[in-house]
Amino acid sequence: MLRPEGHSEFRGRLPVPRVVIVGDRNSGKTTFLGLLYAAQVKFGSEKADDFRFHASFESLDEISGVFQRLMSGAFPDSATREGVREVTFRLSPPRPKLGIVWRRKRNPVSDDSDLFRLILLKSFEDDMARSLETGSSVGHMTLNEALVSDAIVIMVDATELAASDEQAPHAPMAKVDAAVEALLTAIQRSRAHGEATSVHPIFVFSKFDRVDPDSLRLLNLESAPPDVRKRGPHLAYGRALADRNMPKTIAAIKARKDRGLRFEAPAYFFSWVRTDNAASGRGEKIRLRHSGAVGWEPDFSSDEYLAFLTCLGDIAADARR
Amino acid sequence: MDSGAARDMPCALLGDRASGKTTFLGLLYAAQVKYGTGVTDDFRFHAPIQSLNVMSAVYEGMKDGRFPSATLKEEITELGFVFGYLRKVVGKLPYYIRQQNWVHPFSTLRFSAYDVSGEDIEEFIETGIASRPLIQQLLKSVVVAVLVDCSKMTTEIDTPAYKKMLRYDSTVAKLLVSFQTYKKQEYDRLKDSGVRADAPKIYPVFVLSKFDTLRDDVLARLGLHRGFPENNRARKEYAEALLRVFVPQTLSQIRGGKVAGVSMDKSAYFLSWVRTETHEGMDPVGQAKIVRTGFAPEGGGEPDFSYDEYVNFIEHFREIAHKIPDEILEAERFQAQVMARSA
Repeated sequence: MLRPEGHSEFRGRLPVPRVVIVGDRNSGKTTFLGLLYAAQVKFGSEKADDFRFHASFESLDEISGVFQRLMSGAFPDSATREGVREVTFRLSPPRPKLGIVWRRKRNPVSDDSDLFRLILLKSFEDDMARSLETGSSVGHMTLNEALVSDAIVIMVDATELAASDEQAPHAPMAKVDAAVEALLTAIQRSRAHGEATSVHPIFVFSKFDRVDPDSLRLLNLESAPPDVRKRGPHLAYGRALADRNMPKTIAAIKARKDRGLRFEAPAYFFSWVRTDNAASGRGEKIRLRHSGAVGWEPDFSSDEYLAFLTCLGDIAADARR
Repeated sequence: MDSGAARDMPCALLGDRASGKTTFLGLLYAAQVKYGTGVTDDFRFHAPIQSLNVMSAVYEGMKDGRFPSATLKEEITELGFVFGYLRKVVGKLPYYIRQQNWVHPFSTLRFSAYDVSGEDIEEFIETGIASRPLIQQLLKSVVVAVLVDCSKMTTEIDTPAYKKMLRYDSTVAKLLVSFQTYKKQEYDRLKDSGVRADAPKIYPVFVLSKFDTLRDDVLARLGLHRGFPENNRARKEYAEALLRVFVPQTLSQIRGGKVAGVSMDKSAYFLSWVRTETHEGMDPVGQAKIVRTGFAPEGGGEPDFSYDEYVNFIEHFREIAHKIPDEILEAERFQAQVMARSA
């Protein structure tokens, strides 16, 4: 019998960075994981051969199902979404060059690699609400995963960003903001007396192709985020959106603690995938683009995903220290 | 040829339905027959009776211009050949010395291909449990030959052929990852038991089957010409240009094997085609008929197929035989030790 890579037996050998993904229902968590896999397949099969990843067998069945749907122009359906809970993969450690791209001199890959577990916290909002209503501590099984995580990916549905000053406190995002803040506070509280550790918050603004232009105009932002290689402007763009729409979460991240857990400076990424209206009015269809020698692929923000993977590499390097 | 001392070379042959697996094996057999009866006499092969029964039937049919009518599934689950390669040093000896009993002129290896049902594969992929002995045997493969059916390569993304290729890519990627995982876990087990073993390796072989059916518009779109290059590097680039588009998950997971501790970097690429009769301006009705070669001193009446590619395929195994890490032997020794201890 094949043993899963995330198996407890392996955990003792090397630190396995655990990344939990939280977000509202329909915030695009499964699509995000599917596009992350699509980005890995894209960069991992390029002629340059300077990016290598390996999906674990226990993840591949589900995630390749998502991939097949995306490559056929369809978003994950409810059955697919239900199936995807966790994705485990290895990445060869990045060697930064020209910002986000890493290259090797002769041998494009090293034998070392980092194993990552990306865990979707399903029904995150419901879990949080239940915990708060009953006054119990954050002890739900899924939230327990968050308590021992190295990074938390906060999915922010860009279609729900506040479009006016009046709307902000009542925007759908306010509910998510409160829930994430509660989660971060719970994590910090539970690890306050432990050894000094850090958690990396990562904001992913999903569905950014459909963001309300007023949400951006409100903050004097351009209609699209700067190129991810322009780190400063890219960071400032993301920070402006998070400060306005997720103020409680940002405050929880910034709250300095002298001991125990601390949150690192957040990272920001933008996810979009272009769509077309399907014939016969059957919803939207993912637009596929033909990109040179790569063949067909969803028309998505692949550079943002590559930057995200680089960020994971940095987190793994941190965990090794 | 002493086939009893042959080194095992379990080979998993992966292919979609109707991708040409049986035809591939039939042509491999035809190539062995031709190569093994060449004037130079530097390659010999032997087939066990069960394999011979099946393959000679397929071969007869092909010599009669017919493609194999069914898969091997009903007939046999393991197809074996023993390949004998003339040792280079022996080849230089005078003929009368080579004929002496004490000379073992051929180095041998046992090539085995397995036919496993799609259902068993699906079950294994879903559970990670190799409950069938055949799957367990399959996992021990050192060579994984992947048939990629060129007739299903299309740039029209809303066609069933495109979707079939997508599904096939997922299945092969999952299987390869399972192979890698098995090898790595076996290697770790040996290491933990104090047995020294080489780092695991798998030798992937891609066979672009039905290459003659690859459409011109696909080649044009990818900037490829019709002929397959001879130079190894150019072959790799040509084949990978196709794989990158049609089986990207498989390609990325083969490369990714290295970061998971199982190198699969030494892929080899071969073409398979067999010429069929065409009548100008008319589509063939039913199964096309195989064109046969004319008669000449070196043979004749053979199917007209990519013979040189098949010879390269056979020779590729000679190269691999010298490189195979010893973990299979080590694993066998380890099993023997365990059994001796428990006895």
